[in-house]
Amino acid sequence: MTTSTHPANAATTVRRVKPFPVARNNFERALWIFMRYSGLALVFFAISHFGLQHLLVGTHNLKVADTELRWGLTGQPVTVEQIAWRAYYLVLLILAMGHGLNGFRQVAYDYLHARGIYRGALLVAGALIVFLTILGAVALFMGASPLKR
Amino acid sequence: MNVRLKIKRFNPETDKKPYWKEYELDMEPKDRVLDALHEVKWTQDGTLSLRRSCAHGVCGSDAMRINGRNRLACKVFVDDEMKTGKGAIMIEPILGLPVIKDMIVDMEPFMAHYRAVMPFLVNDTEPGPRERLQSPQDRERFDDTTKCILCACCTTSCPSFWARGEYVGPAAIVQAHRFIFDTRDQAAEERLAVLNEPDGIWRCRTVFNCTEACPRGIQVTKAIGEVKEALRTGVIA
Repeated sequence: MTTSTHPANAATTVRRVKPFPVARNNFERALWIFMRYSGLALVFFAISHFGLQHLLVGTHNLKVADTELRWGLTGQPVTVEQIAWRAYYLVLLILAMGHGLNGFRQVAYDYLHARGIYRGALLVAGALIVFLTILGAVALFMGASPLKR
Repeated sequence: MNVRLKIKRFNPETDKKPYWKEYELDMEPKDRVLDALHEVKWTQDGTLSLRRSCAHGVCGSDAMRINGRNRLACKVFVDDEMKTGKGAIMIEPILGLPVIKDMIVDMEPFMAHYRAVMPFLVNDTEPGPRERLQSPQDRERFDDTTKCILCACCTTSCPSFWARGEYVGPAAIVQAHRFIFDTRDQAAEERLAVLNEPDGIWRCRTVFNCTEACPRGIQVTKAIGEVKEALRTGVIA
């Protein structure tokens, strides 16, 4: 541990913990930080997605064709703007699924005290989340009905 | 004034499960709930069991759930609680710890978490001829968390602790804060390592129940946030 003087307040001592990370297991710490940043990002994504689909486009004008055009699924060469929209929704998809899965894990850890049941629930939820993420990514890059193409 | 108490009673030797029992009392408005409980125990029902010692909000023995909130019975007035409880004061043992009898709970799980964070000064260096010196500003840094009386009001108001008793709990984190931010101490890394475990500080969901419950007015959630920040950045400031 090193000691130095805080620049803003000369009288308060600042100590730096070394070596850091100090703990044997930083898994919970890393996920706690992930939840904060992904939560902040998801607020931006949720508001911008809502603003686009419900206010700019309007709920009565929502059509699959518009989404296919925005994502570049019409069969024409894909533009940079369409790639940007795909990236936007891919990040939204991954963050939402990751945030949701870890949220479920936290609740399961709190309430499912039998180790086997906790692990089983986590396995089922994890598999479901991975499946849904892949499904969403397929829709994003190949359209909602790829098998019909 | 007329006071109605609804007390959650439980005697493991005779009762299969807890039950509510009502008592009518004549009390002064500014009598405290502890006085009312004494009145019950000494004049109506001697089997009522509760812990208390100083009766002045210092020892922390008489923490209980009064009208759904964790309070020290010696610090709340009967007239206030009669208003809050709309005609009756509901009194239960604090939640999350095994009930031994009536208001008395087994504090051992709580104390085990307390011991886990090493609640004592660790410094192997020579203290000098008189004492370990510290600037007033450095002493002020952890002043709030020195006020803890280990009543368990915070820990037993925490939903994370209710759900999982292995969670170290706000009181232990407050105690850890008191030493982590003390410049005379040298075991901050060990304490942070304990709090970084799966049942450590990251189970806190920032519900603020602990701050609301603390009879000493400690900003418990703020202290927990400061320890989280120390763990996140590695800087104790």
